[in-house]
Amino acid sequence: MMKTYIKNATIFYLLSRNALKITLQGRMGVIFFLLGKIIRVLFIFAFLALVFNRTRLVKGYNFEQILVFFLTFNIIDTLGQILYRQVYRFRPLVVSGGFDMVLLKPIHPFIRILLGGVDFLDVLLVIPYFFVTFFIFAKMEISSFHMFLYLLLIINSMVMVTGFHISILALGIATTEVDHTIMIYRDLSAMGRFPMNIYKEPVRGFFTYIIPVSLMMNVPAQAILGLATPWFILFSLLISLGLLCLSLLFWDYALKRYQSWGG
Amino acid sequence: MIALVQVFKITVKEYAAYRLNFVLWRLRMFLNLLVNFFLWTAILDTRTQFGQYTKDSIISYILYANLIATFVLGSRTAEIGYHIQDGSIINLLLKPVSFFKYYFARDIADKLINLSFAVCELLVVVWIFKAPLVAPHTISVFTVFFINGVLISFFVNLMLSFIGFWTPEIWAPRFLFTVLVFFLSGSYFPLNLLPDFLYYFLLATPFPYLFYLPAQALIGHIDPGLVFFQIAFSFFWVFALYKLTVSLWKTGNKQFSFWGR
Repeated sequence: MMKTYIKNATIFYLLSRNALKITLQGRMGVIFFLLGKIIRVLFIFAFLALVFNRTRLVKGYNFEQILVFFLTFNIIDTLGQILYRQVYRFRPLVVSGGFDMVLLKPIHPFIRILLGGVDFLDVLLVIPYFFVTFFIFAKMEISSFHMFLYLLLIINSMVMVTGFHISILALGIATTEVDHTIMIYRDLSAMGRFPMNIYKEPVRGFFTYIIPVSLMMNVPAQAILGLATPWFILFSLLISLGLLCLSLLFWDYALKRYQSWGG
Repeated sequence: MIALVQVFKITVKEYAAYRLNFVLWRLRMFLNLLVNFFLWTAILDTRTQFGQYTKDSIISYILYANLIATFVLGSRTAEIGYHIQDGSIINLLLKPVSFFKYYFARDIADKLINLSFAVCELLVVVWIFKAPLVAPHTISVFTVFFINGVLISFFVNLMLSFIGFWTPEIWAPRFLFTVLVFFLSGSYFPLNLLPDFLYYFLLATPFPYLFYLPAQALIGHIDPGLVFFQIAFSFFWVFALYKLTVSLWKTGNKQFSFWGR
């Protein structure tokens, strides 16, 4: 058991090192992408500052609270991109038949197709997100219990993010469609950039109970702000576990029906 | 002209061949519209005025800006960069049709298909979520800004693709441009809500001419004291960007070489 973990960790390390080398091949790309991502976040900050310069509350939330939601979304979203960037490159592997070679190797395919392309550019971004978020928490005098709960729920959100990415891989095997699915996932999860209360029904219900974007992106922020009941937190923990199990079942189902598309 | 009509038709047929891709793309755009619409609805939940805007005018601005952006920014020119990289641009250069006109015809097809879906999406938002939409104003001013916005977008998109003549990293500058456009062209909010110095600075750049000013014209918020200056500047940007695009195209062609075709 331990040997398998060490072997997997070594392969993950090698794949990540390769990913870093590939990233550093395109220096100009690195600069432009980083610049673009930083500017995007700064612009949204500026937009929120502009709004709250003229109004004190939006749907009952003040500026700091909205920032907590926005930063929490960014942390979860960026962590997902750091870990699962390889999913974005899965389609060529399926349509070319290269996926056969992945399946033939004596390692779990997830190490290659899910975790095999760590995005180091996003690592540079997630660090300031954490700093700013914890700076705001320090200002808000958050208790250590709430801080612990927040980190626990971030992990819970990452379980959901993992479930979604595994489902996208399974869908890729079943239909060869990955590129748009992953971007739709990104756009759907971006609905959780702000508190779900801003949406009207049935949109709000849809993104809470049908596609649990609200549970994935909002619950950690709600918990730290004291806005989530224990039952709702428990509900989100159960949903994330259920989502992960379902995604693994879907993966097994897709893999059993895989007949090799390309080659 | 007949050749360009055929190019237009072929582009439309390309979309018909990859229907699912297109529908999924529009779904993404619709989700983005919803976020922006609901955000502003929430901001204006307990108030009727935001800056110089009424609730109806700001929601209308967001909806019109989205619609205009769909048309103005819709483009097939991103593929040029890849054609330069793999050398297949040679095939196009050998055709007896102007390169610029060829891509303009493709762009118009792209814009019209996207616009037809965007109109339906807008109607869905208006119908289901009872979004207020003010009747279009100052159509003549809008038309001038709109045509110039389309041309500015076309030339900028071409230039972003021509980067492929000098570097294989063509996607990153386009990503940066897209990020800048969505904020500096007023996709999230009308630009005149910004502090004055920033607003006037932006007016000197090409960004507001893409869809901020056309949308402002439609909701009747054009500043009469500035409109002539703004129209003049939009013509200036069309002319300057056209010259720059042609110059980049000529320079790129001169040093372009490719093996194996």
